[in-house]
Amino acid sequence: MPSPAFDVQRSDSVTTLLVRGSLDINTAPQLADEIDRVIAARPSHVIVDLSALDLIDSSGVAALVKLYKGVRGTGGAVTVAGARDQPLAIFKLLRMDKVFDI
Amino acid sequence: MAPIRLIVPGTLRYRDVAVRIVAEAARLVSCSSRRAPNDPLDHDVRDPFDTAVVSAFMEIFNNVSIHAYQRVGGGPIEIAITPGERQLVIELKDHGRPFDIDAVAPLPAELDVNTLPEGGMGIHIAKTMLDEIGYEPGPPNLWRLCKRLPGGANAVTRI
Repeated sequence: MPSPAFDVQRSDSVTTLLVRGSLDINTAPQLADEIDRVIAARPSHVIVDLSALDLIDSSGVAALVKLYKGVRGTGGAVTVAGARDQPLAIFKLLRMDKVFDI
Repeated sequence: MAPIRLIVPGTLRYRDVAVRIVAEAARLVSCSSRRAPNDPLDHDVRDPFDTAVVSAFMEIFNNVSIHAYQRVGGGPIEIAITPGERQLVIELKDHGRPFDIDAVAPLPAELDVNTLPEGGMGIHIAKTMLDEIGYEPGPPNLWRLCKRLPGGANAVTRI
């Protein structure tokens, strides 16, 4: 099983989630646990940095949707930044680039 | 060109090796270059053709592992990758449960925070990325994926 490929950095005002490599059906479950912790902390602003993300599949997209809904549901804001190449193509195909404001 | 044949156990553990081989086969057709040619662990999919092929293949491999083999394996996935001058054809054969492709719901017409789907996007991705996608329920079940250069229209589903 691939190692978790993400980091979380927290400050008083912003939580930053950096995702690297491939976010897919094998790695997304590990990120989901971290997402649960992020949502439970009720952050006011979460930045999802995808500049180091090379590949994503529908399971990875689902994990990010869960984060987006969870943070928005507690009154927080989510910024998705840095998406490129294949992940950006997937967000555009699913029309999520508009929702995520990428 | 003769097909590249790969047989892997039908579990997600073998997904990554299959994806890497498919990515290299896509590069044979698209003639795209790798960002890090000496790094076999680098996920490097940038060319639109490679993006479409790899994205669709990942979803169909997921589908076979999850739906046909119920996440526990129990049979092989036989993959035949046939690069052509202007197209790539990939066939995946499994011996698991048939999949009801018609039961897949379309994406919501309007997406917002309330309607964002948390599942069911895989087949939509594959259909949209490919020029043709076919599925023959079995067993054996057979998926046939085709992507042509350059680009192409949305997939025609053949059942």
